[in-house]
Amino acid sequence: MRFFGVGATWAVSLLAAYLAFLAVVQGPVTLASFAAVPPAFTLDLGLTPLAAPFLALLAMLGVAIGAWCLRCERPVDAALIAGFVATMLLVLVARSVLAFVLAWELMSLVSAFLVGANHRRRDVRRATFVYLVVAQSGALCILVALLLLASHAAGPGFSDIASSAAAIPAGTRTAAFVLALIGFGSKAGLLPLHFWLPRAHPLAPPAASALLSGAMLKVALYGLCVVAFELAAPAPAAWGIALVVLGTVSAIGGVLYALVDHDLKRLLAYHSVENVGIITIGIGVALLARSSGALALAALALIAALFHAINHGLFKALLFMGAGVVAKTQGTVDLEKLGGLWERLAWTAPLFLVGCAAIVALPPLNGFASEWLTFQSLVGGFVLPDAGTRIVLLGATAGLALTGGLAAACFVKVFGVAFLGRARQPKKSHAVQPEQERFDAATFAQALLAVFCALFGLIPALAVVPLARIAATTIGGPAFTGVASIPPASLSVLPIALVALPLAGALACFALAAHRRLRSVPTWTCGSPVTPAAQYTATAFSKPLRMIFAFVLQPEHRRLVESGSSPWFPARIVYRIETRDVVDEGARWFGALALRVARRSRALQSGSLRLYLAYAVAALVVVVTLARR
Amino acid sequence: MIALSLLQLLVIAALAPLVQGAMKLLRARLQGRPGPSALQPYRDLAKLWRKESILPAGVSPIAVAAPGIALGVALPLAAALPLAAPGMPPLGEIIALIFLLALSRFVLGLAAVDSRSAFASMAASTEQTIAALVEPTLLLALLGAAALGQGTQLSALRYLPFGLAGLLAVGAFFLVLLAETARVPIDNQETHYELTMIHEGLALEFSGWQLAFIQVASHVRQLSFLLLAGLLLPGGTVWAVAAWAVAIAVVVTVVETLFAKLRLFEIPQLLASAFVLAAASIALRLFGTTL
Repeated sequence: MRFFGVGATWAVSLLAAYLAFLAVVQGPVTLASFAAVPPAFTLDLGLTPLAAPFLALLAMLGVAIGAWCLRCERPVDAALIAGFVATMLLVLVARSVLAFVLAWELMSLVSAFLVGANHRRRDVRRATFVYLVVAQSGALCILVALLLLASHAAGPGFSDIASSAAAIPAGTRTAAFVLALIGFGSKAGLLPLHFWLPRAHPLAPPAASALLSGAMLKVALYGLCVVAFELAAPAPAAWGIALVVLGTVSAIGGVLYALVDHDLKRLLAYHSVENVGIITIGIGVALLARSSGALALAALALIAALFHAINHGLFKALLFMGAGVVAKTQGTVDLEKLGGLWERLAWTAPLFLVGCAAIVALPPLNGFASEWLTFQSLVGGFVLPDAGTRIVLLGATAGLALTGGLAAACFVKVFGVAFLGRARQPKKSHAVQPEQERFDAATFAQALLAVFCALFGLIPALAVVPLARIAATTIGGPAFTGVASIPPASLSVLPIALVALPLAGALACFALAAHRRLRSVPTWTCGSPVTPAAQYTATAFSKPLRMIFAFVLQPEHRRLVESGSSPWFPARIVYRIETRDVVDEGARWFGALALRVARRSRALQSGSLRLYLAYAVAALVVVVTLARR
Repeated sequence: MIALSLLQLLVIAALAPLVQGAMKLLRARLQGRPGPSALQPYRDLAKLWRKESILPAGVSPIAVAAPGIALGVALPLAAALPLAAPGMPPLGEIIALIFLLALSRFVLGLAAVDSRSAFASMAASTEQTIAALVEPTLLLALLGAAALGQGTQLSALRYLPFGLAGLLAVGAFFLVLLAETARVPIDNQETHYELTMIHEGLALEFSGWQLAFIQVASHVRQLSFLLLAGLLLPGGTVWAVAAWAVAIAVVVTVVETLFAKLRLFEIPQLLASAFVLAAASIALRLFGTTL
């Protein structure tokens, strides 16, 4: 089962890589077409250049995650992972309404099995249920959106819809776009429909979390791009503005909630919300620029968005795998209990550091390259003619800068508290893991992703040159010639010039440490004995930002002092802090409402066969009258 | 052109400790103390360079390399200023430089947490907090040229029309400068009380040649920021920029003498007003033709 699953994952990944190559080199390709008697049921499979970056991401993740699955805990997970990758591939090549919706539902189903892998736990069952509800409501919105568009077109194929898109009334297109935004946005985790994501993603096995955050969110964004750039094109400026605003809100909201969360996996899931926001900003700027005729800027923004989608997939998968190793070896992912993992995880710790540096966009890693491009596209939009557009872009620029600073704070906390310093809990006596981590399939998978992160950071041309072709065909503008007077092929000069001196400085320090005196002494803590408990905690580290952003996070402190003989010498102090997720509460309220409505409507389900037949007849009459009209 | 940039880098690096010493001397004189000689930073650095470095036991290689990375981040900033040469094209890109500054903070922050000292970790937490709040302002204050469609190179700032927008940008950048160079009212370089240290606190567990690296990095960064502020003010020639930098250094010192350090949770209000100034400046530039 395990080897079958791994083999299948790798085979699908190779297929995805081949298809990505084909899509870039040949442009639109039809792979297969199954005509059906009612033409609405036609199944078309094909390729567009827009799918290529997502296929490439799927291929890279598939290879790494396949390797990881050689060591995953349940063999059945490997098979499920293979199925998950295959269904995502299907979504990316689906080119008709029915094919897309079928593939989309399959993807949701398979991923729900992965989220519910530990179904013996109550919270897992609950999260899986919430995920399924959100996924199904979203799928319904997507179905309606696609049908709305297809009803005005010659056929259900995406190319038919695209060719007649301009003739569709503006109101219908806007309705379809809004529905698609709800459907794809909820799957991608855009605020305020993100509430299921930080619950579902962390509960899945590590490989599945990596795929959920790394790939599935991107597939949802692909769907949004297909609707916005192809099926419902041309997009008015308002759609672009909506996406930029939503993206900025998601980026800031995601990072704020990540900052105060101390469950490593949930924190990473919140960072997915942040990064999906950043990608959405890029897509929004591309739509805005295209609607006002600035095609070069639109291409730049689309390149930035697609590049960041690839990059986020790579480093988020790397980080989720690292969190998986932490969970397996330490038995917890609570930052307050971790510490000093650098010594215990000789391979995972440095690789996790690469992921942290990539996600906070430090040069020369891939996150820097794509966030820099996103900033360039935002700033390039300052000269767009519309005043409202400029204001929105100005706000988004500031918001993105704030997001970057907050993300940096968050990952100093994560890596510093969990991996550096000293262990906070004593080593378990029954630890089955060997003292030193060995290089195995799991570390190989992480190393592979880290190499991709470094490669795309040092040589952005690897991604930007093909993405420029894709953007040119998608936007329909001239070839992309470069950004900030740097042609795309020589973008490498920027990261290399930036890090040459820091790297030299680091090497100089290592040389000096080897040749000159560098002595180790215990940390000076004002004379008191150095204990692991005296180290700064994650709660303490994020306190200033929690206080400053209290108007969003609404933290609630509870302090419990147990004192013995004297109130001045407490025996134990328990300090607990909780933050409220406003959206979460809204979702809970809405969920309760939906349940109440469902309970009321139970009266319809009387169990009487004749009544059911009456329902069926009534439904038939309604459909026929509607169809005849 | 690269030779000129390197020459500029060397001049800035050589003068940076002198600027620090002169500001310290001026501050002492304003406070009625004789103060140390302006050349004292050179003597301190020479002494630190000769000494051994002491690190807490069991730290990771990050703590060994962090001072070198901090210095390696400050130097490109000095080389990229469009003064002697028109600026090095790939390096003089404003957004990339801001990302680069984050690299030094990230590594120093990790090293501070790695030292297991609660004081250093607290400083890292505060530094990251302030940096996150400063970053949007810093970006917007420097994007004046980009708002006019002239690109995001530092060299475009040099001949930017000044006016009210320029004045607002300088005001915002001045507050950013106070934060980035660890000055009162945001930070206090002279404090000996660990709880209030921010920038100094990050370097708490460093000593010897490693501390020398960090100090040179801070001095170079300070002079670079002063020169950047000079670049935002009208003039444009190298001498005008240098003169403005000296003037701003004097103003910073006077501010340090007149004001007390703000409480930590009052700093966000100050930085928020800096952000408003910067946003207003960009808005003026964006809509200057219509208003």
